[in-house]
Amino acid sequence: MIDPLLLFDVILGLAIVSLAVTVLVVRDRFAMIVLVIVFGLMSALAWVRLAAPDVALAEAAIGTGLTGALLLATWRQVRTEPERWPALPRGVMVINMGLCALVLAGLVGAFLATPLGTPGLGVAVADNLADSGVEHPVTAVLLNFRAYDTLMEVVVLLVAVIAVWMIDRGVSQAPQPTLGPELGDLPRGFARLVLPAITVIGAYLLWVGTSAPGGAFQGGAVLAAVGILLLLTQRYQPQPSHRPLARGVFVLGVAGFAAVALLVAGGGRVPFEYPADHAKTLILLIEGLVTLSIAATLAALFHGREPEAISTQGGRS
Amino acid sequence: MIEMPAIDWLTAVVFAPLAGAILAFLLPRQAHWVGVGAVVLTALMASALVLQVLTEGAVVTPLGNWGAPLGIDLRADGLSATLMAMTTGVGLLVSLGALNSYAHHRAPERMRRYFWPLWLLLLSGLNGVYLSTDLFNLYVMLEVISLAAVGLTVLSGRIEAVRAGLEYMYASILGALLFLLGVGFVYLELGRLDFAGLLAAPPSPALGAALALMVAGLALKTALFPLHVWLPQAHANATAPASALLSALVVKASLYIVLRLAQYLLPLSEVLVALIGLLGVGAILWGSIQALRAERLKLLVAWSTVAQIGLVFVAFARAGADGVAESWKAAALLMLAHAIAKAAMFLAAGRIKEEIGHDRIRELDRSPVRPTLAQLSFALAAISLVGLPPSLGFAGKWILMEGAMTSGYWHWIAVTMIATMLSVAYFSRVLTGFLRFDRQRTTVGEHQGWALADAAPLTLALCALGLGLLAAPILAFMNIGYPFGGAP
Repeated sequence: MIDPLLLFDVILGLAIVSLAVTVLVVRDRFAMIVLVIVFGLMSALAWVRLAAPDVALAEAAIGTGLTGALLLATWRQVRTEPERWPALPRGVMVINMGLCALVLAGLVGAFLATPLGTPGLGVAVADNLADSGVEHPVTAVLLNFRAYDTLMEVVVLLVAVIAVWMIDRGVSQAPQPTLGPELGDLPRGFARLVLPAITVIGAYLLWVGTSAPGGAFQGGAVLAAVGILLLLTQRYQPQPSHRPLARGVFVLGVAGFAAVALLVAGGGRVPFEYPADHAKTLILLIEGLVTLSIAATLAALFHGREPEAISTQGGRS
Repeated sequence: MIEMPAIDWLTAVVFAPLAGAILAFLLPRQAHWVGVGAVVLTALMASALVLQVLTEGAVVTPLGNWGAPLGIDLRADGLSATLMAMTTGVGLLVSLGALNSYAHHRAPERMRRYFWPLWLLLLSGLNGVYLSTDLFNLYVMLEVISLAAVGLTVLSGRIEAVRAGLEYMYASILGALLFLLGVGFVYLELGRLDFAGLLAAPPSPALGAALALMVAGLALKTALFPLHVWLPQAHANATAPASALLSALVVKASLYIVLRLAQYLLPLSEVLVALIGLLGVGAILWGSIQALRAERLKLLVAWSTVAQIGLVFVAFARAGADGVAESWKAAALLMLAHAIAKAAMFLAAGRIKEEIGHDRIRELDRSPVRPTLAQLSFALAAISLVGLPPSLGFAGKWILMEGAMTSGYWHWIAVTMIATMLSVAYFSRVLTGFLRFDRQRTTVGEHQGWALADAAPLTLALCALGLGLLAAPILAFMNIGYPFGGAP
């Protein structure tokens, strides 16, 4: 009798690999994007099967949902351009495939030669979980044990949004068209229905992160979806006068996180060493600020430019 | 009386530029003053850290007080403090140059607004790399650096710059992913990612694969031949201060990580060392040939970076079977020399372009304007890159050749000589343009084109030239904390 879950895993694995291959082979931008989105969903399922629900949530929300939205927004910009696919000589292709196969074989060999089950840091995390201020080990790692890494990941998002704001201003001098065609009543009605629900889900994901899978990145990504829906239904149109506020929200996560990390130092404590009594409060405070920043940043990445050309007055500021 | 807590310089040098970046982004109109202030502050903090390392030896801060491997430790030893001093010093002078380059009458406001936050975030990431003792943390820092560097590449907003920046981003992300895959293999084998854990690990297939992946990723990021294809266009099309930062500092971060990996991960196998040396030779030849063919001044300078990076890898490879216990010194000195001289050279090239209005090498000798100080800075920087005494470049090459001689690796001496000859050849293409005026029919304005802005490249060039006299103390300082062979 075959274990049905094993069968599921095998099918899932095959599906992921064949989706990846199809993305490389298919010669149509839109089809590629759809396949990438499906690929992301399947990967999220795989993370669930690997007992990593946090990663699965992040993969579904950021890797699939937001990346898909970004890809589709990009597709809208370039869809009128003819699709040119560079024709590689067959010889080069064969050589490339051979080299890739060689590297892959080497890596698989190294993997198989490694004894599995090295304890890893899980033991140390479990031992120190009680002192971390939260009950969920992933949150403890992200916001306490290795908070420095997480701070810098939030910095990466800040760099990304600064770069995006900068690039678009330089390149396109002409006013851009609005994000989408006028949406009909159906999407607007849909948005009205789901917006409150998504907002609650995002906030819940943030809150539940202290004791169960969830947290700032997942909550922020879900809240970013709120922003994207608002942008798409044109319930919110970014204005040049909103820029100072937007800048403030973008830096909120990094600034708050860094301030807490530094301010807890002193009196014998080093940076990032939260006082035991306040650890949970501080972690929730950081997560709340970071969530807001992530949501605003991801929505701004979807919008894709500094709000300047799209002003209701019609001119550039 | 309140007792002032002792300031932890390790955290300070990462957080001060971060705070500066946030402020500069929030106050776009004052961005340049905030920016220069933050860089000055960071430079002062870095000096304090250098003093601390000098008096106390290697310094460690366990962030969150968890301690590695659970938490992340910051650690400064001689090597990291030297690179940090180099970064903040070069960064400070480039910042002064940027004040001029992005001044009101010269550049659109967009550049002035966005240069400073991006550069400060880059500085934060660079300092973070030098202090990191954890492989995953290094990956995160590399991400900060590469995104900020891509932003600086496309700062000019010209379509060529954006195209080059996009290619740079693809290369950079691919390199980071390879590095991350390698980090995964390390965790698979060891179950920890801190340097101390790496130091004790015996060789194994997984660590071999990890090393190969990480070195490949870093080679892509540092533009080692034949993975250099993104560099020339990216560095040539950026604005002058951005080019200086990209070429002098960003490339060095990946090189520094290669140095550390060679220190902690494994004794490199002889095959891998030979391969690295071979690629270095390829970089020297190909970079020099392209520099000889380049028609634009900045493109020539960018291609010479490819060749010089190759020389640094040759300095690594000189180690042969002895390990990097000695050869890292030549590599580190060459990195230092290249950083200072190349920053001077890009700033000088930018000044020359500003004054005579173009940077076509063929027509350099036909300009009625003669930006003497910028040309002098360029020439001095070239002297250091070629490696004439008493420059820092000379000290680096000397140690490289001395080591090769004592180990009997005569082929590496030949390679170094060829690299030197080739660099003389391509730099003299520019220098003759500075000196010959017989093709200029009108009178030459001997004293035109001087400006206060020449101070930054000139200072950098003089440092590159003069610091060679201090090579011995610098080497002794870099040895503090036993960068190679001792426990971290």
